[in-house]
Amino acid sequence: MTLTWYLVLAAILFTIGAAGVLVRRNAIVVFMCVELMLNSVNLTLVTFARATGTLDGQVMAFFVMVVAAAEVVVGLAIIMSIYRTRRSASVDDANLLKY
Amino acid sequence: MGDITAPDLSLAALAPLLFVFGAACVGVLVEAFGPRGNRQPVQLAVALVGTLGGLVSVLLLAGRGEVTAGGALAVDGAALFLQAVIAGLGALSILLFAERALDPARSAFVTSAAVPVGSPRDREQAMSPRVQTEVYPLATFAIGGMMLFAASNDLLIMFVALEVLSLPLYLISGMARRRRLLSQEAAVKYFLLGAFASGFFLYGLALVYGATGSIRLSDVRAYAAVGGADVLLVLGLALLVVGLMFKASVAPFHTWTPDVYQGAPTPVTAFMAACTKVAAFAAVLRLLYVAFGTSEWTWRPLVYGIAIVSMVVGAVLGLTQTDLKRMLAYSSIAHAGFLLVGVIALGAGSDGGGSGLSSTMFYLLAYGLTTLGAFAVLTLVRDGDGEATHLSQWAGLAQRSPLTAAIMGIFLLALAGIPLTSGFTGKFAVFRAAIEDGAWPLVLVAVLASAVAAFFYVRVIVLMYFSAPAEEGPTVGVPGLPTTIALAVTVTATLVLGVAPGPVLDLAQRAAIFVG
Amino acid sequence: MAEAAPAEGLAAAAWLLIALPMAGAAVLLLAGRRADRWGHLLGCATVLAAFLLGVLITVDVAGLPERSAAVELFTFIATGSLDVRAGLLVDPLSLAFVLLITGVGSLIHVYSVGYMAHDPGRRRFFGYLNLFVAAMLLLVLGDSFVALYVGWEGVGLASYLLIAFWYRRPAAATAAKKAFIMNRVGDVGLALAIFVMFAQLGTTSFEGVFGSVEALAGGTLTALGLLLLLGACGKSGQFPLQSWLPDAMEGPTPVSALIHAATMVTAGVYLIARAAPIYDQTPTARAAVLAVGALTLMIGAIAGCAYDDIKKVLAWSTVSQIGYMFLAVGLGPVGYAAGLAHLLTHGFFKAGLFLGAGSVMHAMGDQVDMRRFGGLARKVPITFVTFGLGYLALIGFPFLSGYFTKDAIIEAALDRGDTWGLVLGGVAILGAGLTAFYMTRLMLLTFAGKARWTDDQHPHESPPVMTVPMILLAVGSVGAGFVLVSVAPLADWLEPVFGEPAEPEHVIAPALVAAVVTAVAAAGVVAAWLFVGRREVPLTAPARVSPVTRAARNALYADTVNESLFMRPGQWLTRALVWVDNRGVDGAVNGLAAAFGGSSSRLGRAQTGFVRTYALGMLGGAVVVAGALLAVTAG
Repeated sequence: MTLTWYLVLAAILFTIGAAGVLVRRNAIVVFMCVELMLNSVNLTLVTFARATGTLDGQVMAFFVMVVAAAEVVVGLAIIMSIYRTRRSASVDDANLLKY
Repeated sequence: MGDITAPDLSLAALAPLLFVFGAACVGVLVEAFGPRGNRQPVQLAVALVGTLGGLVSVLLLAGRGEVTAGGALAVDGAALFLQAVIAGLGALSILLFAERALDPARSAFVTSAAVPVGSPRDREQAMSPRVQTEVYPLATFAIGGMMLFAASNDLLIMFVALEVLSLPLYLISGMARRRRLLSQEAAVKYFLLGAFASGFFLYGLALVYGATGSIRLSDVRAYAAVGGADVLLVLGLALLVVGLMFKASVAPFHTWTPDVYQGAPTPVTAFMAACTKVAAFAAVLRLLYVAFGTSEWTWRPLVYGIAIVSMVVGAVLGLTQTDLKRMLAYSSIAHAGFLLVGVIALGAGSDGGGSGLSSTMFYLLAYGLTTLGAFAVLTLVRDGDGEATHLSQWAGLAQRSPLTAAIMGIFLLALAGIPLTSGFTGKFAVFRAAIEDGAWPLVLVAVLASAVAAFFYVRVIVLMYFSAPAEEGPTVGVPGLPTTIALAVTVTATLVLGVAPGPVLDLAQRAAIFVG
Repeated sequence: MAEAAPAEGLAAAAWLLIALPMAGAAVLLLAGRRADRWGHLLGCATVLAAFLLGVLITVDVAGLPERSAAVELFTFIATGSLDVRAGLLVDPLSLAFVLLITGVGSLIHVYSVGYMAHDPGRRRFFGYLNLFVAAMLLLVLGDSFVALYVGWEGVGLASYLLIAFWYRRPAAATAAKKAFIMNRVGDVGLALAIFVMFAQLGTTSFEGVFGSVEALAGGTLTALGLLLLLGACGKSGQFPLQSWLPDAMEGPTPVSALIHAATMVTAGVYLIARAAPIYDQTPTARAAVLAVGALTLMIGAIAGCAYDDIKKVLAWSTVSQIGYMFLAVGLGPVGYAAGLAHLLTHGFFKAGLFLGAGSVMHAMGDQVDMRRFGGLARKVPITFVTFGLGYLALIGFPFLSGYFTKDAIIEAALDRGDTWGLVLGGVAILGAGLTAFYMTRLMLLTFAGKARWTDDQHPHESPPVMTVPMILLAVGSVGAGFVLVSVAPLADWLEPVFGEPAEPEHVIAPALVAAVVTAVAAAGVVAAWLFVGRREVPLTAPARVSPVTRAARNALYADTVNESLFMRPGQWLTRALVWVDNRGVDGAVNGLAAAFGGSSSRLGRAQTGFVRTYALGMLGGAVVVAGALLAVTAG
């Protein structure tokens, strides 16, 4: 089994994530879709690490995880604050700033 | 398993970063353990010591050119110049954060961001003079991230720096004391779109890694020079560019800019407009010149195109804006386009000599100072509900406060690129560089776009000077020391860089060197 | 062009010419109310001092063999390949302008002391006037196109501020806006020309550009010439950018005299004369200058016949006279001296006429409708005499200024010898007849006939502080032409700039030309007497008039044309493309603004405020970016 399949799988996951950002309304779900994109990158990195025979890619995946964790903390804090104000986590409701 | 060798680490070269990040960490400790009563002055002092210390240590490093930290950081002329710009603008922004004389509640930032808008506790805290100080360490972290961004010689470090500078910005743009709904909305939008964009950047990183087996910029350069461009590498470049252009608010990745600039507290908007722009372009320059400098032909048409889109979108959409913060946001988009005109003029390549790099660096300095000043003026004009940013409220301002109107006028003329202001010198330098590089059609568009954009800047001046003041118009607050210092510095710099820019242009020229 | 030696002696102090009024402007505008009591005196003093210095420098430079001197000021930008130095070029051409600007400028400053005596904003007014003089001097003294451009923008700014001086009047604000937009169109032309020079030659200094003109390709030269012409048209109110100038009369009258008659609007002529080495190489661009000049001189003369507002008539007359100057400089070496001589004499008599008009308005309580004047000759005798001399000079009464300088232009046109020469000469002669007609009409309506004043008007002569400058300008109007053509010929003085004046080969004998021109002008005067002087003047303009009159009243439909050329298609385009009504676009003065405004609000709709829309935009952008890069690599 070639490594290409892993890359294709990662690309599909990335696309699903990106599409999810576009179609989902709930801010939490949108955020999860972003996380899916980051994790598909992790899969890509690990695959390439395997392909090139270096460890760099795997180390990078750790970095990405740490950064993603930090992002979760910040993101959930922001989403929580707007949820408590509006009683809704729909991204379409936050629509005062436009044009 | 071989022995692990510790990477070389030049502490001297890292000193600016250590200073700023150190100050940020101290700020967190102060926040946790310091007595509440005098936390504000202590935090302000810590943040200023950190940024100014960073600035001084950058200046002491001037002239160095080395790669350190195991090749992850490039401390070279361009990095040091832009780090100095970021640290300086950062210190000015922190002064704006610290202004206490303008808002009756003594700060532009909410006391407790977690309290729901409109709840009884919210009404209570809107009036309480308690001041919140988390914003200082957060901003210091962001400044550190930006300085790291400018010096990163490795895509992974670039990504980490991108996140370190972005995450605090997401938070502080949601912390406005007034119009909290707008502020929170700005934070959500900035966060979601920012995370989305960094997903692209990261995927680009992975593809470049897959194509070249390395994420070191110099390795990518070596690979691109011999191997040409395979699909993986080119796709990777495209996604990296998307991630960076988002931060630089270049159209078509600009959509967040007007909303976030308008919703965020004005001092934070000033900080974002000035420092983030500098940091993002520092990374763009490094990525395109160092990693892809030898395969210039791949990205040149692309940058050409988005420069045009950005200038046109910024200039045309700015025309019908009625909110000053939003108008300046579109101005920022148009200026991103002008900066790309300088980026195009790669000139002789990353080893210096090309005037594109130096003129872009000068433009960043000039634009950063001017836009910071312009937003600082916006904090002065207020009505009962915070800042009065609607255009109609500025009618006849010159009669209420001639000095404020004159200062704003200078900034607007500089943004429009009128001679004898820094804006003209900057535009002149980047256009000149682009023409030298043969990109005259682009300069043609740029000149036309700046003529269109001049219209909306001048409209504000006309409104301030030639309209009857509105009944019950806004009041012009008397700023305290911090804002006064920031305004004095930015006005002086805007004029000096317009009248006698020689030494600074010279400095930029000498600093325009990339190593790595 | 003669090589300019580094300046020594007095010429080295040429920077003071600019610094003096600049300092005046700075003090006046920054000192605030404290300077209200003495501000106007300072304003006059700086300009007068600059004039005296200008005279001394002229005497000094006239003694030099090459009659020019270069003053190195400071290095503006000098890094690597970028090298911009700021310097001044003191040569016969710039000195002629310096004397005109400071000389006429001083008189108008003095006049303004009286004219603005009761205006609360007098200090601000003098500050702007000083600013204008400084910028205008920089424009003519700068030794590179960039320095010229800085001055160019500076006079534009000052003019804008002064048109809108009474900004509470909506008409003034609108006029200022219109002037600004039309000037921007011209400025873009000049800016592009400068960039072309940079791109092709790497320098913008006059010396560098003119030295290497021959190395340029023909197409580039023509483009340069046309771009410079566009700039000149914007600043000088020439076709197709003429309609801002009459509207600019909303500003105070001394401003109309100084900026919109004597000096700033002639900057376009200066630009084309200065760029003579470029035009010498490109017949196409030169022909365009000719065409613009001839067309504008007719438009101005025709429109001048139909207005009842005394200042607007004079403004259209200015448009028309500048058309003559464009025509002259468009003729090439034979015309430069003639055009500039006309420029200088025009500076005198048109400034005098405007000051006279100001004096009349002062007497009549700011009334500008000539149908409400009449019989003023007895009430304001000094104004009548000085205005009359200016009038005679303008219509080319024998041996007054206009007679010499306008005839020289007509002769130069006829001397081309070909059909075009005849056509141009014919147009110029016809223009002279029309000039005589509308100016006589103005004189008759204002000073002759029965009084048609409104009840509350008690005309009185203006104070000496206003009449003395008018008298001095009238003396200039009478004598300047003779002096510049016969006593101290301008052509000889300008020789270091334009070369040896060619001995003209006359196709038609000058005496005959002079006779014809005088006869046509006399016919114009008689026609005016027949149409206007003999009859009772109705208090309102008759509504039933011939289509020609109607066209002229509408300034030959310039605004309508602009509107239908730019604004309508802009709106149609917008409408066709959008489903949104663009009512939001406010009544834009300019059609371009409407088109941009329409696209702006339409594009603005894309900024929906929905995060998901933004994300879609980014994703789309990313796909396009990736696709473009792949296409470039594959292709």
